[in-house]
Amino acid sequence: MARLIGILGLALVWPELALAHAGDQGFVLLLPTDVYAGAGVAVVALTVVALFALPDRVSLAMFAARAGKARRDWQGARDVTSVLSFLMLAGIVALGMAGPRDPLSNLMPLTFWTLGWVGVVTLSGLIPGLWHWVNPWTGLYHWLAPGWRIRPLPARWGLWPAVLMLIGFAAFLLADIAPDDPERLAVFVACYWAAIMGAVLISGESVLNQVELGHAIMGAFGKLTWGKSEARGWPGWQITRADPMAASGAFALTLLAVGSFDGINETFWWLAQIGVNPLEFPGRSAVVTQTLIGLALSIAGLLAVFLLTLWLGVKIASAQVDFPRLVGHMALSLLPIAFVYHIAHYLTSFLVMIQYTVAALNDPLNTGADLFGIEPFRVTTGFFNRLDWVRVIWLTQAGLVVLGHVWSVLLAHRIALDHFERGRRAALATLPLSLFMIAYTLLGLWLLAAPRGA
Amino acid sequence: MSKLITSRRGLLKGAAAGGLLAASPLVSRYAQAQSSAPIRIGFQQHSTGIGAAYGRWYGRTTEAAAKAINDAGGINGRPLEIVAEDDGTDPKRGAEVVEKFANQHECDVAFGTLFSHVVFGSAPAAGELKIPYFVVSEGHHVASGALNRYTLQPGITDVKSQVQAMAPYVSQNLGKKVTMIFPDFAFGHDHRDFFTQAIEAQGGEVLEHIAIPPTETSFTKYFPKIPRDTEVLYHVMVGPAVLTFVKELGEFFGPSAPAIFGFIDSLEAVDMSSPGLEFLDGTYFWEGMPRYAQADQTEYDKAFRAAVGVDENGASVSDAKDVSTYAHMFGCWETLYIIKRGMEASGYAGPQDRAKLIEAVEAMSAMDEGFEHPQGPKIFNGKTHQTFGKQYISRVENGRMVRVHSTSIEDTFYPDEVDYTAQSF
Repeated sequence: MARLIGILGLALVWPELALAHAGDQGFVLLLPTDVYAGAGVAVVALTVVALFALPDRVSLAMFAARAGKARRDWQGARDVTSVLSFLMLAGIVALGMAGPRDPLSNLMPLTFWTLGWVGVVTLSGLIPGLWHWVNPWTGLYHWLAPGWRIRPLPARWGLWPAVLMLIGFAAFLLADIAPDDPERLAVFVACYWAAIMGAVLISGESVLNQVELGHAIMGAFGKLTWGKSEARGWPGWQITRADPMAASGAFALTLLAVGSFDGINETFWWLAQIGVNPLEFPGRSAVVTQTLIGLALSIAGLLAVFLLTLWLGVKIASAQVDFPRLVGHMALSLLPIAFVYHIAHYLTSFLVMIQYTVAALNDPLNTGADLFGIEPFRVTTGFFNRLDWVRVIWLTQAGLVVLGHVWSVLLAHRIALDHFERGRRAALATLPLSLFMIAYTLLGLWLLAAPRGA
Repeated sequence: MSKLITSRRGLLKGAAAGGLLAASPLVSRYAQAQSSAPIRIGFQQHSTGIGAAYGRWYGRTTEAAAKAINDAGGINGRPLEIVAEDDGTDPKRGAEVVEKFANQHECDVAFGTLFSHVVFGSAPAAGELKIPYFVVSEGHHVASGALNRYTLQPGITDVKSQVQAMAPYVSQNLGKKVTMIFPDFAFGHDHRDFFTQAIEAQGGEVLEHIAIPPTETSFTKYFPKIPRDTEVLYHVMVGPAVLTFVKELGEFFGPSAPAIFGFIDSLEAVDMSSPGLEFLDGTYFWEGMPRYAQADQTEYDKAFRAAVGVDENGASVSDAKDVSTYAHMFGCWETLYIIKRGMEASGYAGPQDRAKLIEAVEAMSAMDEGFEHPQGPKIFNGKTHQTFGKQYISRVENGRMVRVHSTSIEDTFYPDEVDYTAQSF
């Protein structure tokens, strides 16, 4: 029959979007990743052990905030950048509709996935309030219809609409057969923009925090920043002050589940589970149902395991707690893991796609323009052909994953101090969760090392 | 030559336009628009999905060929325009892309697909929409008769002929007792079936077929199955575990290995000086086109490398570690030139002439080595829609592949399995 050519670089399927690329996996398989992973898991395990010796005051001080002076109100400036962001969005949507057909030459998918989903989302965990500056709605709303609304969304809905939006987005990211097709994506983005703008006009600005995915995701990761000028502290302190709501917890859990499945679905292991030959991946269209089922199972599975670990912790500590409140709060301690997964997972593809983005900015209409004078600009994946580079990249990814888990373990312990008696009892109560986080470290590192075929 | 033709045609065009201008300005403007409108080639590209590494180089080669053709005056005096659409290396999307080429983008032909399952998924759409579909896939699917009259593979040879053409050299120079190691799915089975038959025809035999499950990532446990009297080990492993395979093979055999022969598909786009590949020194590979510039490099190979931006080691001129898919990507270059020749021979003016274009290509036979065919001479079989050409065997020496044998075109022939010309349009 046919010759189906396999290549070392079966690669990262970019959402695996346009990032599909890169032959680093062959080299990763040559690295002693089991030794590295063992060391990483040990670091997290030692952190868990250390919690039993850690005085509460250290834990409390670690995530304490320092009050500062509130700086001037930047809302006016933010409205300007938001309107600029809207204009840019309109521009790239137009490019998506009418520009180059190849997703690697078109700024619509490159901006949305590479600069936005990978870049801005990552930066949102580092720069406080980033999305308030660059979201494409608030500026227009403030300028054209400030304060206008017909009927607000019930506050008790909390973040639940955003949870549903996130699941929908994940389905598009992972299961849609062409999420990086410029025209398809442009239609998707334009409809999303219009729907959200409509919702803002009907229910007011607060709807953004409840429904809009950018606000929800970057709001969640934004809690990991050091904070604004009014109060600053060690990354994560904002989570200790967060109002524990079940919906916010569910959102954090869903975010982590989506990020995890986004790695799992490429592995040989997963492909074997769904009966797909990893060397002959039949394409996204052939696995839409399986991917959706896997996504649902991941979300449900993570939720179940998480609830179980908390319930066990409460039992072990023989504590009386407000369980839903505990769940809502403790789930936020997973945000650092979700955040580092996001960075680690997309790091390799970002290294390639950012080059395509530069090339597309240099020649947005694919007409041979050379706006920056950088031609001949040739995208390279050569660094994936060098063991030393692949090792550096892999260890960076693994280091991030380990760091995120240590961060989460410490944060969970700190949150537990507010829900349980202080001292060892809090450490005991979070022990099942800590063990779960150790196991999750292993999963994260295994995902980085596992052979991939989709 | 093509420059000459262009300038003459350019003159004619100018004269015609001038004449018409005197008669009717309106008509002339129309004629001018007709004659200078670009010929649109729908490029079905594996921009994403498992074929992306190939897609990138197929893209670079296609762009280079289109530029070369346009610089020399285009096709029938019209410029060539490449309309690239991503198929996601997905058969269903492949079919959608072909449909877009035909209905939405007003392409004259579709071109460029590599992965077999995408070709399989897309060819029926090409047949239904009656748009010529030029694939660059190496699959035997075209010549097997499984596709249709609108699907052609004139720019790259197929796996059946490649594998079969290896047998004479292997049996005469490396040994007659062969053990084959291959991944246990269609790709590996093709090699198993085609090569076993071919080596037996040469008086050799395959002692053992070792099929490796596709999900395997460690191979040492399979090596004891290699019979002791094996003279040649034939391997075609693919996927991310190839480097591990080679490393473990080296550890297993040490310095006393049998002769080892493989297909470069295993290591296409991989730097031969990568760690773990030292063991390949002294082993042999099929190459569709030698990745490393050879001592007797032709001027055509030189020009092809310069146009695509590839150095004498087959890597990007801007990054020595960015290794191209050199054994395959020439197919895009040569196919575009064949489309050009077909359009010129048939006087192609627009979609109404698609059948004439296919007939013109079907009428082709010998293609001489040259700037348009840098990989080597070919003989196209109009009945089976498949081209046949020289194959190369290279030996790894100090991390470079040095060509030690070129097959004849005749070595690659096999009896026709279909006559597409008997099918109606």
